[in-house]
Amino acid sequence: MTLVRKLYDWVEVRLGISEVIEKEMTGYLLPRTINNWYSLGSVLLFAFTLQVISGILLLIYYVPDADKAFKSVSVIMNEIPFGWLIRLCHAVGSNLMVATLFLHMFSVLFMGSYKKPRELQWVSGFTLLNLVMGISLTGYLLPWSQLSFWATTVATNSVGAIPVIGEYLVEFVRGGKLVGPPTLGRFFAVHVAVLPLVIAGLIGAHLFFLKRTGISAPPTRNDPATTTRQGSSYHYDKHEGGIPFFPNFFLHDMTSVSIYMACLLGVVFFSPYLFFTPDSFVPANPFQTPAHIKPEWYFLANYQILKIFPSEIIGLTVQGAGMTFIALLPFVDRGDGRYPLKRPLFMVCSLGGIAMFIALSIWGHLS
Amino acid sequence: MEQDGRRLFLMTCIGGVAAVTAGAVAYPVISYLAPRKGKDNSASVTIPEKELPPDGAKFFQYHGKAAVIVRKKDGSVTALSAVCTHLGCIVQWEAKKGEFICPCHGGQFSAEGKVLGGPPPKPLEQLKATVANGVITIG
Repeated sequence: MTLVRKLYDWVEVRLGISEVIEKEMTGYLLPRTINNWYSLGSVLLFAFTLQVISGILLLIYYVPDADKAFKSVSVIMNEIPFGWLIRLCHAVGSNLMVATLFLHMFSVLFMGSYKKPRELQWVSGFTLLNLVMGISLTGYLLPWSQLSFWATTVATNSVGAIPVIGEYLVEFVRGGKLVGPPTLGRFFAVHVAVLPLVIAGLIGAHLFFLKRTGISAPPTRNDPATTTRQGSSYHYDKHEGGIPFFPNFFLHDMTSVSIYMACLLGVVFFSPYLFFTPDSFVPANPFQTPAHIKPEWYFLANYQILKIFPSEIIGLTVQGAGMTFIALLPFVDRGDGRYPLKRPLFMVCSLGGIAMFIALSIWGHLS
Repeated sequence: MEQDGRRLFLMTCIGGVAAVTAGAVAYPVISYLAPRKGKDNSASVTIPEKELPPDGAKFFQYHGKAAVIVRKKDGSVTALSAVCTHLGCIVQWEAKKGEFICPCHGGQFSAEGKVLGGPPPKPLEQLKATVANGVITIG
């Protein structure tokens, strides 16, 4: 114990670490009414770290070559000790991370935390959701299975609906006319280098915005109808008399992380192939399209929208308009009130939107 | 006092859970990263005698390491580890001189593996080799 104390004192003299702990941990106050939904950000940070670590471990044995990729994944799953665990944690983790992102977004949405002055948090968070879906899409191709190959063929093909440059864009994304070895090289580079760096940078920006504005308090029925935040000067939400982040809210974070891990390991151990179809276990064959190729569950709504509209360009435009609306929501919904039950129009629109997303996903799955 | 005891108990529990969790994570990760076991290390290697030229040497893999067989001037065959005993480089056979040279730091070994010059501290490791019916068996 004395040795630890001496080491702490040594660091303290040089870096003033107790001041940092006081400012960022024990002295960082959060609203007393804070709830567990607020810990989803920490869960996502944990999930992203887990994806990075398991991804680095997979890189040790994975071979990004069209002739060897499927075999290398088979070796990881069947021959390398605990390779199945690392790979399943990565594959199932990506799905759970998207699901948690949705939950995080919904909690921010219903608590009105996207409103002024947190517009930048919302925009950066929504961009992160899309980037995580992008990194999931690019990772989908890497096992070079029938599912990977044909799901990527369908996904990249929809880019072709963009007028004038669509055909060129498809070829650019694929690195050729069809999905093939050049596509694998591109997707691999984007999946393991480009997107993780961009996501990490944007997470940093997201946290910076959070630190500068201060965390929002959960809305209550008794909130004043108008905000006290008037004028154009900078203001930090202090929450005087609140609970400290450490240890109080840190324990909430750890509870939520434990629940996340329980879900992850529950799927990995008890239903490992929940997110895999039989086509995932067959090597890619560019001359044999399997029947009923479907994208991952979080792309099913987009997939179904493209099928509903007679023209692909209309489907893409509708999706683009929807995405733009959600991204710019804080600039559209500028009212002061945050308590959901006092915002009937908002509740109808958002619950309707979520119901439509679920219905389209189910329709896409069954069609 | 009671407060201190409770605190110590809780800290011990947390430390125990943390240690078990760390072990549960470390064991699969270390197993995953550990070098994979190769084929049966006790197996011997056979090489047809005709593949070994007169006054020549043939390099091959033996138990995961580089090894070499040499036909000496008297026609007998010697098998040696090809790993230099200085810093682990692979020695090269100089047919004209009838000796091994290590290109890294100029170590010299005779066809029997003895140190002739340079920094190597000890001879090349001898391997058991037998010749029967036109086949050289090492190990």
